Amino acid sequence: MKRWLASAFCVLLLGLALYPMAGTGYGIRFMLQLFMWIALAQSWNLISGLTGYVSFGHIVFFGMGAYTAAILIAKLGWPWLLASLAGGVGAIVLAMVIGWPCLRLKGPYFAISMLGLNEVLRVAVSYFEGLTGGGSGLSLPSLYASVAIYYSMGIVALAVTALAYVVVTSRFGLRLMTIREDEIAAEAMGINTFRYKLYAFLLSAVGPGIVGGLAARDQSYIEPVSVFPLIMTITMIVMVLFGGKGTIWGPVLGAVLLFTLQEMIWSRFIYVHQLLFGAIIVIVVLFMPRGILGVLQQKYNLPRII
Amino acid sequence: MTPSGLRPILEVDRVMKRFGGVTAVDRVSLGLEPGRIYGLIGPNGSGKTTLFNCITGVEQRDEGEIRFKGRRIDGLKPHQIFHEGIGRTFQIIRVFPELTALENLLVVTTNDYAQARERAQELLRFVKLEGLAGEYAGNLSYGQQKLVEFIRVLMTDPELILLDEPAAGVNRTLLNDLLDAVRQLRDRGKTVLLVEHDMKVVMGLCETVFVLDHGEKLAEGPPGVIQTDERVIEAYFGR
Repeated sequence: MKRWLASAFCVLLLGLALYPMAGTGYGIRFMLQLFMWIALAQSWNLISGLTGYVSFGHIVFFGMGAYTAAILIAKLGWPWLLASLAGGVGAIVLAMVIGWPCLRLKGPYFAISMLGLNEVLRVAVSYFEGLTGGGSGLSLPSLYASVAIYYSMGIVALAVTALAYVVVTSRFGLRLMTIREDEIAAEAMGINTFRYKLYAFLLSAVGPGIVGGLAARDQSYIEPVSVFPLIMTITMIVMVLFGGKGTIWGPVLGAVLLFTLQEMIWSRFIYVHQLLFGAIIVIVVLFMPRGILGVLQQKYNLPRII
Repeated sequence: MTPSGLRPILEVDRVMKRFGGVTAVDRVSLGLEPGRIYGLIGPNGSGKTTLFNCITGVEQRDEGEIRFKGRRIDGLKPHQIFHEGIGRTFQIIRVFPELTALENLLVVTTNDYAQARERAQELLRFVKLEGLAGEYAGNLSYGQQKLVEFIRVLMTDPELILLDEPAAGVNRTLLNDLLDAVRQLRDRGKTVLLVEHDMKVVMGLCETVFVLDHGEKLAEGPPGVIQTDERVIEAYFGR
């Protein structure tokens, strides 16, 4: 069974690697956005799915990465791949600055503070016009690189999932879960919960940072409202809750199912997909708070590698 | 110094803790000698759990000093106090429900994984739960969860173990196992301080009993003496 799954996964990866040779322009762009969502959902899962600290402004790292990369490309002429990696570094630095005070807050206070910080950064970016172009946005020199961005996004999605695998199957990951389960008991059992939360937070920022840089390059134009939208944070959260928070493959499953569904619906009815998202949140919270894989894991006592 | 002249492993020195206008612990002093079992009793709301919380850093004491092996531990964080060698259980069970019984134990130590696993299996056998190692802790019975919480403390072999109502809600068979386990710990030189309402347990197990009432230490002595102390009887049953 295990070997069968592993081979199926390898075939899937090979298929995805070869896809740009056969795929249409639309297909490639669809896939690269799907990879982006997998990376975002998986990253949110690292902090919020494992420690239970719900980050309600996680897109702030995406925006940070997007602006870091866009400024490096537009003003300093950096190659986009290097600029995107710098976006990941920028996101980690931001996570350090935010995490130090905010991770001392508990439960809903942390969620609200993240929501607020996302808004603060959005406004700050609009304010520093000289560097960021302010509200009128920042344009990048045009470049056709969809296929290269497809591979880059795919690698980031794969890397973040591999990271989730390593974390969840390690004692470090179990300790993160103890914070979700009972933070006071975790402290009493010798776990330095603040330090663990901070590590998870830093790990959860790097993926969105890189992906933000890649998305900026892909779209060639960014503005504050396009890279710090609350709806993207909510989408990440819904994807993870739907697929199964705290599992390795839940965020991937949630991203694949919801993004595909969203794409199918929104090409026909522009506004209905938001309604659909709202409905899914309600259904998931009411009937399967653990998400698809969470339910299966609990019911059949599956190992943590799902 | 304690009555027998041994250097105490834990010294609680005039510790005070207030919550608003309520003085939950009022200048309480205790000295625990190594290798003995102590009981902490008192009516509901007398400050037993608050004192536990002050010792383990879950609450910050307002006044007084707490020393463990001669070193001050008041002001340290709970995780630091744990690594000093003080383990505790909670009155209300605090296992990690979505971790398996085995994982509940593995998260505690910093030993290498193979060593930690071996120790965990050994402890699970010790309380006869080896068959449930892979079960989610939240699916275990109340008594089994209590045992998991108890052995979780033992993963790092702490020198002082604080047990908050270990007997509550545990059936007789399990309870006898648990009490045997506590005696074995004492025989290996560990010190145990337990809060307990079940007087049979306290009288059968403890060598010295401290009585708290309204946050103050009312009496201290061997269980037989405490049982007949008029002030203690009054605190429990009224005049």
